[in-house]
Amino acid sequence: MTVARSLRQIAIVIRKEIRDSLRDRRAMWSIVFSVSIGPIIIGFMMNRVADRQREAERVRVPVVGMQHAPALVDWLRQQSGVEIVEGPHSPEEAVRNQEEELTIIIPKDFAETFNQSKPAALQIVADSSRNDARPTVERVRRLLQQYGAEIGSLRLIARGVSPTAAQPLVLEDIEVSTAQQRAAQILTFIPMFIIMAGFVGGMQIATDSTAGERERGSLEPLLVNPAPRLVFVSGKWLAAALAAMASTALTTILCANLPRFLPLEEMGIRFRIGPEHITGIIGAALPMCLFSSALQSAVATLARSFKEAQSYMGVLVLIPMIPGVLGALYPMGNAPWMYATPMLGPYVLLTNVLGGQHPAMNAFLISAGISLVCAAILVRITATLFESERIVFGR
Amino acid sequence: MIRVDQLRKQFGSVTAVNGVSFTAENGAITGMLGPNGAGKTTTLRMLYAVMRPDSGNIRVDDVDAIADPHAAQARLGVLPDGFGLYPRLTAREHIEYFGELHGLSGASLRQRTKELLDLLDMNAIADRRTSGFSHGERTKVGLARALVHSPQNVLLDEPTNGLDVMSTRAVRTIVRRLKDEGRCVLFSSHVMQEVSALCDAIVVIAHGQVVARGAPDDLRRHTGHDNLEDAFVALASAERGAYE
Repeated sequence: MTVARSLRQIAIVIRKEIRDSLRDRRAMWSIVFSVSIGPIIIGFMMNRVADRQREAERVRVPVVGMQHAPALVDWLRQQSGVEIVEGPHSPEEAVRNQEEELTIIIPKDFAETFNQSKPAALQIVADSSRNDARPTVERVRRLLQQYGAEIGSLRLIARGVSPTAAQPLVLEDIEVSTAQQRAAQILTFIPMFIIMAGFVGGMQIATDSTAGERERGSLEPLLVNPAPRLVFVSGKWLAAALAAMASTALTTILCANLPRFLPLEEMGIRFRIGPEHITGIIGAALPMCLFSSALQSAVATLARSFKEAQSYMGVLVLIPMIPGVLGALYPMGNAPWMYATPMLGPYVLLTNVLGGQHPAMNAFLISAGISLVCAAILVRITATLFESERIVFGR
Repeated sequence: MIRVDQLRKQFGSVTAVNGVSFTAENGAITGMLGPNGAGKTTTLRMLYAVMRPDSGNIRVDDVDAIADPHAAQARLGVLPDGFGLYPRLTAREHIEYFGELHGLSGASLRQRTKELLDLLDMNAIADRRTSGFSHGERTKVGLARALVHSPQNVLLDEPTNGLDVMSTRAVRTIVRRLKDEGRCVLFSSHVMQEVSALCDAIVVIAHGQVVARGAPDDLRRHTGHDNLEDAFVALASAERGAYE
């Protein structure tokens, strides 16, 4: 019956640590912050991208010398989202000073050259160092090329030549990634933010219940209670893990609701976290929470004070960011060793799950197994530290 | 009852406790008297099983405290030296937390908590968080949670250290009451008056060794000093066993 007694004691410690941290306003704010920062950043970035795309679709095109090519100007006006305005007096200066994104200059001799069926020059004044103007310039350039192609075809037909003869190549883009995958690429930070939320969410309890307890001198009286050290350590670890899991769940829910607030549809992105993803997310993220909390508890136990522990945590928190940042820079494959690496395995799994793929059951099992084994080892180490007189009394 | 036999503990090259033996009886208050650094706290820590002795034996009632520390701990109520509280928990929650860890629950735990709150006159502060508590109030919380499981043996490490007169009296009242209930109370102090006012038996410790033990009157007689304080000074600076 000692196992039942130990389990009951673990539950008692968990309840106390959770209640204690729920009253810790600073801890609560840090969790709220860590849970919401990811979705907020993604929302902000997506909105910027959407705005840009909308701007590129609704272009304002200043034209100098409209009277020289009324047909071209009329054609441009008929294109959707295009607004033609009178160009500035000194186009280059206006573009350089960023007053205009671009200006089309129609030279005086345009009509004459055009009517002779010779290549008629048009000038686009643009600043290629301006990234924000690039979509607009691209759009205008495409429109002008399209106009040129149409006129070219008409001229060929007028001369009795099939326009296809002048079109030896046809390029077709075949996209192999699914729409969901493309979305996951853009939203590649979501797995990282989910993992980060789990990591940060458990941190407060992991540090306060170990280093904090040492600092306050409340550890010695606690250890006078008749229970093995492993019971106390397990309770503290699981309390931290539960907080980590709750943070993970909250971030996931916030991310799942991103499409409500973001114009993803109009950007052609299909992104969705729905019930069909839930098992995958749980399978990938929850074992990771057990691991990260165990790691934090072990490291924080080595610290004499809460402050010291926090400085260790500042370093630890970089670990879950590594796969996310690397994943954004270098597209990662799905090599089997990745699943067997703590922190990286859950990240790859989450990326796949959110990308609409279905990773093999084995991948989940390996990743969860590694997380659990590492967590068990770390908890054992922490329990050994709790046995150490240097840790218990070394204040 | 607590029986300690040839307890020894070394930290590096320093021998903190060097062959301490004594018995603390039921229904009696045993005072462990000694100057700072004499090894009182280390001895008590080994008794309540958060420190392992290098050698020696400890029996708490009929339990071997070294072989089965948790069974010993279940029979002990402990107020450690310089203990800390959880600033965000209330006094009542402190008592209940330790009670639950000792296996109490439900109505019996609530009843026992209420008894302790009444006994220590803590009802006014019972549901306040301990962060702003005075030293006296903190000591009461520490005492209450140490006694929540009605332990047969009570270990108090310098319980009145730094307390004002009122709080000191409250602690003494509790200690006497525990004695009247037939419990074994062992408390350490470096304050003479404390020990002479309360104790049925005194164990004087110096340099990690028991230099004398007996009733207060015995010690006075043995040392030839009428004043217990003079007796203590003589004992603390004397060689081990000189007055046994």
